[in-house]
Amino acid sequence: MKPVPWQTGEICGPDSAKALSKADVLKRDLSKSKKRLLIVGSEAPDEKHGKGDMVDYAIALAKAGKMDIIATGGAIKSFIDKGFDGAKTMGAMELAFRLQDPEWKGPHGNGPYDMIMIYGQPYYMQWTMLSGVMNFAPEIVAIALGRYFQPHAKWSFPNMKEKQYHTILDEILELVGGGK
Amino acid sequence: MRDSQPYYGVLCSPIAPRTGTEFSMKKKAYFKADEADTGLGKFKGLEVRIGTIVDDEWDEPMGPTPMPGPTTLRSWDHKILTKYQPSYMPYCQVCCLCTMGKCDLSGDRRGACGLDIKGQQARIVLAAANIGCAAHLAHSRHLIDHLIEEYGPRTELIQGPGTEIHAPVARLVTGMRPRTLEDASIILDYCESQMTHTLSATATGQEGNWMDFESKVFHAGMVDQLSMEIADLAQVSTLGMPQADPDAPLVKSGIGMMDTNKAIILTIGHNIVPAASITDYITEKRLNEEAEVGGMCCTAWDITRRDPNAKVIGPISWQLRYIRSGKADVVVVDEQCVRTNVVEEAKKVSAPVISTSDKAVMGLPDRSDDPPDSIIKELVSGKIPGAYISDHAIVGEVAVKVALAIKDKRRKMKFFPSKKKMQKMAEECKKCSECIRACPNDQNVMEAVLAAQVGNFELLREVYHNCIGCARCESACPNDYDLHSWMVAAAEADCKEETHVVRTGRGAIQDTEIRNVGQPIVFGEIPGVIAHVGCANYPGGGQDVHDMAEEFAKRRYIIVTSGCAAISAGHVKDENGQSIYERRTGEFDAGGVVNVGSCVSNSHIAGAAIKIAAIFAKRNLRGNYAEIADYIHHRVGAVGISWGAMSQKAASIAAGFWRLGVPVIVGPHGSKYRRMLLGTAENERDWMVYDARTGDRVPTAPGPEHLFYAAETVAEANVLTAKLVLRPNDTGKGRSIKLSHYVDIHETYYGFFPDDVWKYIRRETDIPITLKDKILTQMKENNWKERRIPDPTLLKEQVMGGSS
Repeated sequence: MKPVPWQTGEICGPDSAKALSKADVLKRDLSKSKKRLLIVGSEAPDEKHGKGDMVDYAIALAKAGKMDIIATGGAIKSFIDKGFDGAKTMGAMELAFRLQDPEWKGPHGNGPYDMIMIYGQPYYMQWTMLSGVMNFAPEIVAIALGRYFQPHAKWSFPNMKEKQYHTILDEILELVGGGK
Repeated sequence: MRDSQPYYGVLCSPIAPRTGTEFSMKKKAYFKADEADTGLGKFKGLEVRIGTIVDDEWDEPMGPTPMPGPTTLRSWDHKILTKYQPSYMPYCQVCCLCTMGKCDLSGDRRGACGLDIKGQQARIVLAAANIGCAAHLAHSRHLIDHLIEEYGPRTELIQGPGTEIHAPVARLVTGMRPRTLEDASIILDYCESQMTHTLSATATGQEGNWMDFESKVFHAGMVDQLSMEIADLAQVSTLGMPQADPDAPLVKSGIGMMDTNKAIILTIGHNIVPAASITDYITEKRLNEEAEVGGMCCTAWDITRRDPNAKVIGPISWQLRYIRSGKADVVVVDEQCVRTNVVEEAKKVSAPVISTSDKAVMGLPDRSDDPPDSIIKELVSGKIPGAYISDHAIVGEVAVKVALAIKDKRRKMKFFPSKKKMQKMAEECKKCSECIRACPNDQNVMEAVLAAQVGNFELLREVYHNCIGCARCESACPNDYDLHSWMVAAAEADCKEETHVVRTGRGAIQDTEIRNVGQPIVFGEIPGVIAHVGCANYPGGGQDVHDMAEEFAKRRYIIVTSGCAAISAGHVKDENGQSIYERRTGEFDAGGVVNVGSCVSNSHIAGAAIKIAAIFAKRNLRGNYAEIADYIHHRVGAVGISWGAMSQKAASIAAGFWRLGVPVIVGPHGSKYRRMLLGTAENERDWMVYDARTGDRVPTAPGPEHLFYAAETVAEANVLTAKLVLRPNDTGKGRSIKLSHYVDIHETYYGFFPDDVWKYIRRETDIPITLKDKILTQMKENNWKERRIPDPTLLKEQVMGGSS
């Protein structure tokens, strides 16, 4: 069944994300990507995952996948509180704009990025951010790692049940070289 | 004569947009009367034409752009839009505005008309700005026509004591000093002509370039600001509202403040005229002990500005909860932000609706020409659910008499389901999650309903506090549960405790206040002017607005409020039970919290910035838009925040500030405006200015860094606010004060010392003493070099000795 946006009114145009129903579907894109960026929003510190939260997951994912992290909306404080100093902070809107510049190096100086993974912003805000990326930075592979379907990504979970969602998150972590 | 009919007493020929020096100040007046009884005798079919009135008492020279047309200020707009690039985030990739479509604009495709996706997004932004502008402008036109009819065209416009520079926006944009209602009407003629032009640009086959669409967005915003100033100036002059009064009355606010022993009339919207007829009727008939009026949204501010016995019930997002409570015996709606199914909602609680605006008739029968008694009879009996009454003179009588007649019967009615009934119904919940999926704020309504199954209503109560009252959860519910009512019922005790005291709108800022604070603002010693304005589409309740205002007020920024944000800011009590308005002065001064009033009073915020240029810097305002905008952009550390921005009106208000170079922050829902205006800090070329003293092109720090920005959280908004008040003209002392706050706020909300402070150091005098070591280290790490503090301008003609 074709996935539908979580917020029912947030339908999109002709281009729509593919369902990320198992981690393996990312294999091809991951193997092709050279510079990845993980974008973590303000809701991540309050979202549980395993024994920790989605900030812990971000740290694990970034380390395993050699990804830079940009925290938005003040989520940076949570990274610092956890003693992780590898994350940088930017505003979500600013970030969505800067990703459209094919030469943008980013605050870590490691860009331009060819893949982003993103979660933790309010649903509708991530929706608009990803619209900017999809329409004006089509060379970037956008993977939405929130539970709910983001039609403007290339890959997104199809409004997944919580348990299944966390299982696949762990599988993705393994896929990029980390995990259990 | 009905209020909705146009005024024909004085008509002015439309003033065609002109540019530059070809403009001359003319007012062509035309008077026509079917019958006139004058000292000279009785006349029939009288027509008087007055050729030209020149305001030759005003010795201020006319600037280059009086009454600018849609392209007159294009060059200024392009300077701003080059510095702050639009970042588009399309809602969808198709255009469906003409029958050649739908057109797929994805990728590099173009539509059948030739437009690409950037152009289309800019076009949608322009459409929104035009809609917003039209709403304020039509409101303004209605007010002016009504007031001319009521008081005559020669009625003087008075902004208040200490406001010699009254109507600064009008002076700046039109080159006119509007002194009478007749002048106000001429200015609205100009506004109407301009809005027609900018709206026409959105038609298929007109504008085709995103930057020109965006320039017209700015034009619509400027026209909007002008029409708002005219509306507020006119109502302040004639309707007994506070006139630039820092001690405007404190009034009662909140659902719990409404006295249910009295008949209650709820007024919703923005236009004071019908609501004024209600408070007048109550006063005239001495019914204060039997009936009272409460307002929601901007009508609330304007009725309390006129009659402090009236009450501010709450922001626009509360209208459904208050109607559903059944406490309002009659609902009177005027215009803008009114819930469009108000009749259906009021019907559920047996409250008649009176619609009063030709813009929002709401499907009700037109009873404007009927005698009040017959309308009252039908409303009281319930024969009709409401009536459209365009004659505002009788609205007061009808509303009050109906409310008094049905009050006792209605007080015996119960409108909310009992907890027992809700618990029973909750057991049938299908657990489909549709309520959550429909909620704009992702509130877990379903979990709250499931908790109610076991008699736990605490979660529903929590949802109530974050709810924006859209009721989309109900529309989505397959069981048709009145979920919004459930939330309100669960929070009934909280509603009763919503008893607040807020300061009603004061109107304009006095010249004398500007004189006192102009220099410290321009030098940066008062670190900024923060305006909390706009709607109530908050991501997490209204308290955020209060908290943001308090964060900066305690740091001695000047806080200005208006509209629904002004209400929300006042709906939080401190440990002494006081609101922000009770514990802080209403003066336009450091640490003050200044409520200017309703939506149309937003123009006074722009007016204050404009007056700083006139009073402190002695700049001429008259028809001199670009120079003054350039001055404000580089020198006045003002930031607008519309945390709950929802409407097209909020978009056009923001656009008025963008053209003045004032940055605006919106809450996360503001990302749905689909376009930000963003600077790029590391592009040094974008931050180059002319030094007006030498003509040299010199670099400045990126300030203000962005012009329109949706912040994800309060933390981000606070950090951004502290940064966006930075201006190239700050003195060393001012810059160091601003940076101290920026660093402190950054450390508080982000947990670390910001790594870009060095960029804002021009000379060592800019460094806050207590932060010296850290900043010097940062400067060294980044190979900092001393920079000159220029007399900054983007306009070559402002260079001394340059072309003028």
